[in-house]
Amino acid sequence: MSLKITSKVENQTALLSIAGEVDMCSSPEARKEIAALVKKEIPRIVIDLSGVGYMDSSGVATLIEGLQMCNKYDGKLVVAGLRDNVREVFELTKLDKIFEIYEDAEAALTE
Amino acid sequence: MSKFQQTLGKSGQTLSLFFVHIYRMSVLVIQALYCIFVAPFRGKKLRWGATFVQMVRIGVESVPIVAVIAFSVGLIIAMQAAYQLKRFGAMIYVADLVSVTMCRELGPLITAIIISGRSGSAIAAEIGTMKVSEEIDALKTMALNPVGFLVAPRMVAMMIVVPCLTVLADFVGIGGGFVLAMTNLKLSFVAYFNQTAEALYAKDFITGLIKSFFFAIIIAQVGAYQGFNVQGGAEGVGKSTTTAVVVSIFLVIMADLLFTMLFFSTL
Amino acid sequence: MDEPIIKIRNLHTSYGKRKILKGIDLDVYPYETLVILGRSGCGKSTLLRHIVGLNQPDEGEIIVKGVNIVTASEDEKNEVLKKIGMLFQSGALFNSMTVGENVALPLLEHTPQDENIIKIMTRMKLGMVGLSGFEDFMPSQLSGGMKKRAALARAISMDPDILFCDEPSAGLDPIVAVGIDQLILNLQSAMRMTTVVVTHEMASVFIIADRICLLHEGEIKFLGTKEEMKQSNDPYVVQFLERRADEEHLDPDKYLHELVGEP
Repeated sequence: MSLKITSKVENQTALLSIAGEVDMCSSPEARKEIAALVKKEIPRIVIDLSGVGYMDSSGVATLIEGLQMCNKYDGKLVVAGLRDNVREVFELTKLDKIFEIYEDAEAALTE
Repeated sequence: MSKFQQTLGKSGQTLSLFFVHIYRMSVLVIQALYCIFVAPFRGKKLRWGATFVQMVRIGVESVPIVAVIAFSVGLIIAMQAAYQLKRFGAMIYVADLVSVTMCRELGPLITAIIISGRSGSAIAAEIGTMKVSEEIDALKTMALNPVGFLVAPRMVAMMIVVPCLTVLADFVGIGGGFVLAMTNLKLSFVAYFNQTAEALYAKDFITGLIKSFFFAIIIAQVGAYQGFNVQGGAEGVGKSTTTAVVVSIFLVIMADLLFTMLFFSTL
Repeated sequence: MDEPIIKIRNLHTSYGKRKILKGIDLDVYPYETLVILGRSGCGKSTLLRHIVGLNQPDEGEIIVKGVNIVTASEDEKNEVLKKIGMLFQSGALFNSMTVGENVALPLLEHTPQDENIIKIMTRMKLGMVGLSGFEDFMPSQLSGGMKKRAALARAISMDPDILFCDEPSAGLDPIVAVGIDQLILNLQSAMRMTTVVVTHEMASVFIIADRICLLHEGEIKFLGTKEEMKQSNDPYVVQFLERRADEEHLDPDKYLHELVGEP
């Protein structure tokens, strides 16, 4: 069960679309992609989770780490397109307070 | 039931219990060896961090006591040997006696006995306490094998560290003999050194090391077995710890007898 | 109704000659909280130990997530166990490790996660049980209630599907105990876990239970919802609800024989 990850960089903004189930085994793949974008110090990274049906705490931790690394160079990491059960996970861990969350990737990109 | 029948029944029970213990212990040995030598090739790594911690605890922290005792024993053998050899005016053979007995016999044996008392008991106590406080069960419910998690690192540490300590004991013991020869017996340094070098063969040294390797397995296994076998609470831990020391010293000496017989007749 | 996540059929077990469980049939459904209730020594903890594979039954089958725990190989069993959390009565934290290391242990051993991620996850789990900032404490430095919370954090560290709790409120004062019950309830709804709780505390039962299973001398006396339990006429159920002690029937002759020790 691996993830489908596509990443697209367009003038100062990166769109990372993740699809699949982000669990203990697959989240390192997402981490690698995020780390690659962070390394290029892209100022705004949008993570589109509309294709993610399930995310466990390792996935959440991966996003938190990404956010922390972005903050180091004054970049921004935002998430978009949360499905209901993923949104629940965010609320449970009170991450909706830390992350900027957008309805969908379009909204996040046009911001 | 007559007294006789009762006694017979009791001894029968004890005997069957003895075999149960032997059986269970062999199972544990096989599991531990599997975890050390086979499992790492099937993706279950040995916990080297924990192994290192154990090596420090069992090995490094035992260095002073092993050194002091080995030195004293070296002195003692030298004195006893000198007492006998004086009558023949063959004082120089003290060197032979001390070095050969230390390497072949007393170095490995003393080390094993010290480690039984120091670390065999510690293994039994640690594992026993973990059993009493449900920590072993917790490991199992986390899908972690207690043998792989607890026994394997301790056993590997023992197998590495006990032979090392034995080498130390050999040298320090010979050193003890040296000191007596230099001071009390007034032998010349060069003569004593040459005599020692001539008396010692590599096989003396190596048979000692082979023994100590097996002693290490015995001590680790008996400690672990007694730990897993704790019944009841804190009192049970105390009992098992004592049993671990007694049994491992007993088994070490029996194994020593066996090996010595083997080496004596073949080498 | 859904397919049960745990299916127990005809479970028999004994300690020596004493029968502990005499033919238990029990289904646990996904996302429910089942409380196994009974007095000390009725076999409820034993039942739990069987479900997580710590004890082998004499007879019967226990199917957890489609795997028969009784006959499964070690590896099959471990795969199931990785997605199961267990809270022990004593907490059973590893005393030689810090609280953080305790929570991180299953993650380190079973997942390919980076250490940094595991650290974040550990802090997250400790935050969920209200122990933020305690990761460098040793278990011996924690109070009883905090130990239970830390143990709970460890139990949920792998995001389990099923959480088992053995007497979660045992040995705690009533206020702390209610806190633990509430926490279990919150976690269960937040993490969408199936929860099986063993207890003898009626107070916790009515906080957390969806369904109740009353065990008496190795048999299921009652199985149903809280409301059904309150309406039950079964004398033992009523006795349990009213917390009455057993009535003593004293046979003078038998008592004398017991005292003087003659058969």
